[in-house]
Amino acid sequence: MKLHPLTSLAIAGSAAVVTTAAASVPLSLAVMATAAALSFMSGRGAQVLAASAMILVPLCLALFMVHGLFFPEGTTVIAQWGPARVTIEGLTFAAERASRIGAAVVPLLVFSCTVSVPDLVAALSARGVSGRVAFVLAATLALVPAIGQQQLRIRQAQEARGLVIRRHLPSRIAAFRLQALPLVLSLVEEASGRAQALEARGFVSAARPTSYRQVQDPLPQRILRWLVLLCAAVVVGLRLSSSLPGGNW
Amino acid sequence: MSSTSLTLPAPAPAAARKRRLLEILGALAIAGTYAYLVLNQPSDIAGGPGSAAALIALSGFLVGAILLIMAVLPTLPASTLVLIPVALVLNIVLGQFVGSTLVPFYLDAIGTVLIAVLAGPAAGAATGALSSIIWSFFNPTVLPFAAGAALIGALAGLAARYGLFRRFYFAPIAGFLTGIIGGVVSAPVAAFVFGGTSGVATGAIVSAFRAMGDTLFAAITKQALLSDPMDKAIVFTLVALLVYALPRRARLQFPFVRRHNVLAGTGRDDATN
Repeated sequence: MKLHPLTSLAIAGSAAVVTTAAASVPLSLAVMATAAALSFMSGRGAQVLAASAMILVPLCLALFMVHGLFFPEGTTVIAQWGPARVTIEGLTFAAERASRIGAAVVPLLVFSCTVSVPDLVAALSARGVSGRVAFVLAATLALVPAIGQQQLRIRQAQEARGLVIRRHLPSRIAAFRLQALPLVLSLVEEASGRAQALEARGFVSAARPTSYRQVQDPLPQRILRWLVLLCAAVVVGLRLSSSLPGGNW
Repeated sequence: MSSTSLTLPAPAPAAARKRRLLEILGALAIAGTYAYLVLNQPSDIAGGPGSAAALIALSGFLVGAILLIMAVLPTLPASTLVLIPVALVLNIVLGQFVGSTLVPFYLDAIGTVLIAVLAGPAAGAATGALSSIIWSFFNPTVLPFAAGAALIGALAGLAARYGLFRRFYFAPIAGFLTGIIGGVVSAPVAAFVFGGTSGVATGAIVSAFRAMGDTLFAAITKQALLSDPMDKAIVFTLVALLVYALPRRARLQFPFVRRHNVLAGTGRDDATN
């Protein structure tokens, strides 16, 4: 079954919100495992795994370094080297935060790796979201891969003009400047030309343009979306109501 | 050159009032969330799961950022709007690259500051918030920082509006001051949502303060006050270099640059000569 982009977004967003509200390590791990399994079923497993690792590995390293070694609130000391103390409480706190962040990151990455951007833009436009937001979203997502190609062309052109990138820092900074400046200038120039073309086609007009793309949104998916969002709202409400009076944040 | 259409009707006063209301509500949501978190901060963040604080930080800052986008985006001319994707890509590419290195900086606001200098504080704020929202497609951990990014854009635009980019040496000073405010606003997000920082280098600084016995919130705030002002001073300097390297024609297409004489040699009198 093909999911409507807003259904995928609602499921991924609700998973992130519910795991944040619940703050339960087993639930967070289960959500991460489910999201990873779904990404492999959709054929994007490797992409999701690589993107998740790129975000979560440095983040987890930082969390375990900060809380694993320096947690003044911890009382159960496992090991100690000078000012660094490994405590059970510090490791538990780091594990809880790492799993909670992972449970928010992995489902959202599954969504962004599997969603069709044109379908998402069409779905947002159909729900009254401004064409300007849709333009910025679509243009940015299209520009990210294109910029790599442009950077390669600039680098080749500069190398043809004698640029040699050596290992030491000043050489790298000079090479960065020689590549970054033409890249930014060309992007700004291109944007200027695009503005004239868009203005000539009535882009700044407040009238709603007709969409040529229709995304199917079956009733069961609409019901599912509302149920998922309602569930997330209930969990957040329960969490906030249980936390505020006693001050147990 | 891009210009306002002469044939389209001017926006109705009701629409302008609605946008002003959205701007005020967005700013109130951000300021209120910050005040609530700082004034009612749990005495012991590290003592519990802290998910209620994370939810309040996430929802308050995100709602504020979305309201600001809704207020500002419809008012931007096409010449600014088409530049926003370029700014977002610069933020994402440089931010991802620097974030993966062992440097305690971010450099993830170059595009936002560039737009703010060329198109003003409102455009800068919208670009900062949009940048975090669209970047979250690649890295969902940046989403809670949307309000902080909007604030950086707004402050950079104000610095440009009041002539701090007219003299090259004022740009890093303006960046340093912006970084202090941005760091203070972003610290509760890092503390309550993430329980630390997302990079190893910034984490090492937090560890040092924790080793001295600071609370987690105090340690993260001090780390932000060390990293952010330097980071923004570098970003503002790089943007000053970039805008002065732009062809004069490209700079003059932005009404904000012409109207407020943002850059040396681009004032009203210079433009007509």
